[in-house]
Amino acid sequence: MTVAPQSHDKQLATEHSQMPRRRMLTWLSSFGLFASALLAVVSDWLFFKPRVTYGPNARFAIGKPDDFPPGTRIARDVERVCIVREGNKIAAISTTCTHLGCIVAIADTGFACPCHGSHYDQDGNVTGGPAPKPLPWFQVTLAPNGDVVIDKNASVDPGTYLTV
Amino acid sequence: MSTPTQEPPTPKSGTALTTLRELPQNVWNSIFRNPLPSTDLERSSTSFTNFFLHIHPVKVNKNTLRPAYTMGLGLMATFLFVILVVTGVLLMFYYVPSTTQAYDRMLDLRGTVAFGIFLRNMHRWSAHAMVAIVFLHMCRVFFTGAYKRPREFNWVLGVLLLLVTLFLSFTGYLLPWDQLAFWAITVGTSIAGYAPLIGKQMQFVLLGDTTVGQEALLRFYVLHVAVLPAVLVLLVAIHFWRIRKDGGLSRPEKAPAPAPDSGVVKLKKVYGLQGFVRGPFTKLGNVPDDSVYSWPNLLMAELFVFVLTVSLILVVSLLFNAPLEQPVNVMHPPNPAKAPWYFLGLQEMVSYSAFWGGIGIPGLMVALLFLVPYIDRTTHGVGRWFAKERLLANTIFLTLVILNVIFIVIGTFFRGPNWTLVSPF
Repeated sequence: MTVAPQSHDKQLATEHSQMPRRRMLTWLSSFGLFASALLAVVSDWLFFKPRVTYGPNARFAIGKPDDFPPGTRIARDVERVCIVREGNKIAAISTTCTHLGCIVAIADTGFACPCHGSHYDQDGNVTGGPAPKPLPWFQVTLAPNGDVVIDKNASVDPGTYLTV
Repeated sequence: MSTPTQEPPTPKSGTALTTLRELPQNVWNSIFRNPLPSTDLERSSTSFTNFFLHIHPVKVNKNTLRPAYTMGLGLMATFLFVILVVTGVLLMFYYVPSTTQAYDRMLDLRGTVAFGIFLRNMHRWSAHAMVAIVFLHMCRVFFTGAYKRPREFNWVLGVLLLLVTLFLSFTGYLLPWDQLAFWAITVGTSIAGYAPLIGKQMQFVLLGDTTVGQEALLRFYVLHVAVLPAVLVLLVAIHFWRIRKDGGLSRPEKAPAPAPDSGVVKLKKVYGLQGFVRGPFTKLGNVPDDSVYSWPNLLMAELFVFVLTVSLILVVSLLFNAPLEQPVNVMHPPNPAKAPWYFLGLQEMVSYSAFWGGIGIPGLMVALLFLVPYIDRTTHGVGRWFAKERLLANTIFLTLVILNVIFIVIGTFFRGPNWTLVSPF
């Protein structure tokens, strides 16, 4: 009877000395598992986010400046862009509605969306409807061969024109 | 066939003839370990020994079988999913997820494939029905207070299942590649784009491109036929398993047990196998007595709901054709362009405020749905429709449901070109 508690204490002592090591191993392996799960989520995200898209090119040529005489306002629905020429200045305004992605049509007062009734003025500023943002303007440059090139990946401040 | 002996037949001095004569019986006995039950023991062992029946408990509470209590809505949703899997797999044999071919394949289903139009009708109407029935099932569970302890987590699984059902229906919407599909998905994914911080990223990853195109069609197809059904099946399995583990379907609180007769020792303890199973329902000596055997009571009820569901879908599919509009024309959105009907309430709200209508309020609603059993911790009024004790909770929930329905009705019937208010009459 007197021996038993002693050995019990001894056992307890060894258990105590082992606990930090066990706990630390538990922590380390849990951390490893958790970190790999996190890594898997990140790599899944990278996998699902395409590096190359197969849709139409975001940067495209639309022709020579002379194809667009002063006063032109042409909506190109395929590229979803409106070409504006005033005097010798050219700009490109998006025709994708900032509300839910429909194609806006050219109206007397600017642009009008057929889907949910958003209205924009000539410069793409919202004048009515649920659209939360003005229509973005895209960068317009001249290629070495004289073509007007629009880059839909590059937005510019509204009112930025290319002088030709 | 119906009354084979329990003991294995003693092998006689086997001639080839006897072996041949006993062959059908022996094959039958090797498949079904249990005769068609005629006693209670055999009834319980039917549930134990058959793979397809062992999801059932041996006995169920009578309340579970009351049609007016559950209305069979959960079962109906399950059977609709079964119809969807069967018709969906059949449709997959003729469908190609390609922007140049998908629409032609729809026309082929209509024109050349035997039963093609009928299968498509069944698939389309079952999908719409499943969204509606899953929603109604949620309402049933709420109004009967069935989400309360210990069934909190099964409610959470149910909300997840509702979301997966919606997403399944949404991804299927794009596949015909007609005008309806294209613009519904354009509008729907734009709503996702309004989520703060990751909205645009999410939209891009979902579509695989900046606009709805071939990548989006392929992604939606894979999600629709492989990923989401697998997720749904897993969640449904856990949902069902938890019904059993949480003590069966919810039912009214029992009348307080009569005081134990003092001085009389009752030897009425029942030690069943279930007595060793953990859970609130099957404790030792607590075998429910207001219950009936699953075979045949529960099975008959299930069969009835199955036949009802299948016949309804068959009739509707014979009478009405699934819509198919003009092929996609990315340059000419229909006016108005509408999302699928179950998202029209969302779209209606989006027409007031893009962020709050599309993300803010719906996000809040879903979060609230998830938290319902953890907010309402009272335990009264379980197992009865519209219990008086639950007046406040039921009123709040009913108000939100009616608001949602009103928004859907406005978005569906009262919105015309340019989303202006029109009268449908």
